[in-house]
Amino acid sequence: MKKLAYLLQSKQVSSIELVEKYLAQIEASEKKLNALITVDKKGALQAAREADQRWKKGENRSPWDGIPIVLKDNISTRGMRTTCASKILADYVPLYDASVVTLLRKQGLPILGKANLDEFAMGSSTEYSSFGVTVNPFDGNRVAGGSSGGSAAAVAAGETPWALGTDTGGSIRQPAAFCGVVGLKPTYGRVSRYGVVALAPSLDQVGPLAKTVEDAAILFSILAGTDPKDATSANAQEFNVPNWDDALIKGLKIGIPKEFFGEGLHPEVEEAVRRALQILEEEGALLVPLSLSTNVYAIDTYLTIVTAEASSSLARYDGVRYGQRKEGADSNTMFAKTRGEGFGAEVKRRIMLGTYVLGAGHYEDFYEQAQKVRTLIKDDLQSAWEKADLIITPTTPTTAFKIGEKRNPLEMYLSDLYTAIANLGGIPALSLPCGKDSRSLPIGLQIMANHFQEELMFQAAYFLEKKLLGRA
Amino acid sequence: MIDREEVIRIAALARLDLSEEEIEKYQRDLTDFLTACAQLKKVDVSQLRATSHAVTIKPRLRQDRVGPSLKQTDVLSGGADVQDGFFRVPRIVEGQG
Amino acid sequence: MSRKYDTVIGLEIHVALLTESKFLCSCSTEFGAPPNSHCCPICLGLPGSLPAINAKAVEYAVIAGSALNCVINPFSKFDRKNYFYPDLPKAYQITQDAYPICGPGYLDYYVQDKLERTKIVRIHLEEEAGKLIHSGESIIDSEYSLVDYNRAGIPLIEIVTAPDITAPEQARLFLEQLRLVMNYIQVSDTKMEEGSLRCDANISLKPKGSPVLGTKVEIKNLNSFRALERALEFEKERQREVLEQGGQIEQESRTWDERAGKTMTMRSKADAPDYRFFPDPNLPPLNLDPVWIENLKKSLPELPLERLHRLKDQDRLSHYEAAFLVNYPDFGDLFEKVKVTFPEPKAIVNLLMGDYARLAREHGHLNPVRLGELLQLLADEVINKNQGKDILEELFKTEEDSPAEIVEKRGWRMLSDAAQLRKVVEGILADNPDLVGRFRNGENKLFGFFIGQVMRATEGKADPEVVNNLLREELEGGRN
Repeated sequence: MKKLAYLLQSKQVSSIELVEKYLAQIEASEKKLNALITVDKKGALQAAREADQRWKKGENRSPWDGIPIVLKDNISTRGMRTTCASKILADYVPLYDASVVTLLRKQGLPILGKANLDEFAMGSSTEYSSFGVTVNPFDGNRVAGGSSGGSAAAVAAGETPWALGTDTGGSIRQPAAFCGVVGLKPTYGRVSRYGVVALAPSLDQVGPLAKTVEDAAILFSILAGTDPKDATSANAQEFNVPNWDDALIKGLKIGIPKEFFGEGLHPEVEEAVRRALQILEEEGALLVPLSLSTNVYAIDTYLTIVTAEASSSLARYDGVRYGQRKEGADSNTMFAKTRGEGFGAEVKRRIMLGTYVLGAGHYEDFYEQAQKVRTLIKDDLQSAWEKADLIITPTTPTTAFKIGEKRNPLEMYLSDLYTAIANLGGIPALSLPCGKDSRSLPIGLQIMANHFQEELMFQAAYFLEKKLLGRA
Repeated sequence: MIDREEVIRIAALARLDLSEEEIEKYQRDLTDFLTACAQLKKVDVSQLRATSHAVTIKPRLRQDRVGPSLKQTDVLSGGADVQDGFFRVPRIVEGQG
Repeated sequence: MSRKYDTVIGLEIHVALLTESKFLCSCSTEFGAPPNSHCCPICLGLPGSLPAINAKAVEYAVIAGSALNCVINPFSKFDRKNYFYPDLPKAYQITQDAYPICGPGYLDYYVQDKLERTKIVRIHLEEEAGKLIHSGESIIDSEYSLVDYNRAGIPLIEIVTAPDITAPEQARLFLEQLRLVMNYIQVSDTKMEEGSLRCDANISLKPKGSPVLGTKVEIKNLNSFRALERALEFEKERQREVLEQGGQIEQESRTWDERAGKTMTMRSKADAPDYRFFPDPNLPPLNLDPVWIENLKKSLPELPLERLHRLKDQDRLSHYEAAFLVNYPDFGDLFEKVKVTFPEPKAIVNLLMGDYARLAREHGHLNPVRLGELLQLLADEVINKNQGKDILEELFKTEEDSPAEIVEKRGWRMLSDAAQLRKVVEGILADNPDLVGRFRNGENKLFGFFIGQVMRATEGKADPEVVNNLLREELEGGRN
């Protein structure tokens, strides 16, 4: 990205040329990929023209003024439809911009379009989109992952230099791993959620997806900070891209939780991650074996909380104020028909589960119990930070699976096995490509850090990226 | 196994109009899910407080100042049925008229 | 009936807080704007929008709780109450369930001359729903309804009382006192007709003296003080009849039909909704500074009951007079201001409760300094009562001239000179010899006639006391 910025600054390339280049790539690859739900050619070109004007007058808004971006289609964009990949919002046009969109516009980033996802971000494969599945750029028979599958695939295929995704249980990191890009789920509260359509508000975070660690860090620096519109946004937590320093690796304590290297982990994935760990060790990092024994509860805890919060967050789609409506003789019938027809199977399943676990007589046994186990998991993570500065695990147990392979919902939920814990704990976690399997499918490595320790995480990722992939 | 009546009750509570097949499907899914979650119930959490927020955040309160509202035409622009500046909904009390 | 059963009543009162902007967004709370013109992504519940708590609403809730002698909880939480209704934009209401902002308290108030206490169980903060306008006469016979979300998101406090109210009239008096307290602390305009004060009531009967509560019925749609009392009276009788015929009271929600004058079933317990309360993940718990809470408590204004007792004890007013000044705080405030220049409480309250009250309701209040001056003229016997009335009317037209100046300009000064008045009296007696004769023969009521004649002759300026003495002297001197 620094290179693009330099080219823009030195007038060797214009924003229009950049946007046209990416639009051409979109044109070329979309038929196969289906990464995007909406392409805003006109809007992106207009924004690029304005950026070029600013550069001409030396009034550029930032070094990235005119470098375009793609947003996951659950991030509200004023005047540009935001579907959440749901039939119920197929024609919904927001009246306002999400706070992260405002930040991007302030920096001058043209928006190329909106990326595909599992409906309302519920899923791990983008198969649950009412706009069709997104295909993995590395293998046309495989999924791109999810729920930010469109964002990850678009970056991997060069349709955009970077993208925004959202992550509730792994929805940025898992598709990043499957598509061979870098994806960050920031510390809970570090990036505003205002305008990001809720799945589970106590777990959701917006984050960057990019080709390189540095690009992800740059995009994160644009996003991070306090937002008065989001009561859960943290105070004074800006982020500046650090000066990269390999010397930090020496003496760094890297936690290796044994539960993340056990049964179910594909040997090729394990091998790639272990190789990366070895590189760190050779540079002087200390590998600290540790245990996150509570991870065994992570998926069930996560599912209970997600379904409960989602059942409430998605109650507003009742056909009155916005969204599609199916008429009925009375209001309740109208609500039920609107929702019954507007939502896809997975969304309805989660609403059913969530309604059950919050219901009278079940709340203490399920929802409250899950919240208490969440405390246990948080405590487990906290004690890990007494032994380690960072924790490294595989991002996913396997590489990208085949489209249609996982028919059982519980099996699909296991895709988040290594990632959900970071959302439950509110900690930052990043997925970094660390090699390929024998089918040439990308493998992802996950780095987790304590709250607000993104910088250290980025330093380690940057170092690894350089060593692993020979990127400078 | 979660019984059928319970599935119908939950669907009504969540305002989801479900087909016969869906009712059967969610009956199975709910049962599977609850079976899987059963292990959670066994965890001893008697000494723990519930976590309802990922990180402890000091609440930030807003000053009582009026800001701009949306234009009425914009507010109504997404409504499927609007009349005279209002959103319109069919009868609220069921089974009459 | 009260011989066989005790009546048990508890109230749930919603008070809209008088903030400029809504509870969770910055839209205006102004009443009466065009429909759906005070709406934004937050109060419309647009996808992705998030709530941001209005500090003033929290402050007002703490003030209200303090005025109702409640425990203020520094730690409180916001929950979602999930239910579908066309006026509820997010299909959940942000409220406080498990951890409300105010805990137990009480309110003291008079029922006739007896001081009663009703316990407050809790007060919590929540957001208001939108407003529905039904196409038909009522919600039941309406083919469709129209929704206006201007009201959605206005801050409310819900005050829940213990079931310690024993009669419908007492419930009304409690609510009136509560409203007065809310007005005194200026957290709400409490207009029942605009819905900024609303009340639901729970009522049950139990055998006299029994410690076991009966099955309660909730009554909704009580839009006035009168409706509250009437609905409770009706429901009390209805329940008594059911019980006396050996029937059982169903636990249910009933609605008050003002025109029919009766309560009707709305929802039985079997249909009671499952609200699925859970902590709103979008709002961190409140952690209020105890020092801040203490300071708010300390800066509470004088409350109605304190004022009543002060007026009775210090100003020696009767309960009736004191209650008048307390219940009409504008009169109470004026009373205090007049007292600064004219420290005679009884005389002030007599003036305020008399013709002044009628005129002030029509024209608004007068300058307290002017009222003090008027009272002083009366006290100094410069003018008589009738002239006082005239001056009052004059002041309501213009306050440019002081009462003294009006007296001068109109020559309304009271005529007290005995010699001058004696001439008038003698003249009138001389003009009416037969009437004088009849009086002297015992027709006492004619005395008034003579007084009237003197007043007329002096254009009402004569000092009635002097005239009275003179007449007695002249008439009774020659009585048979």
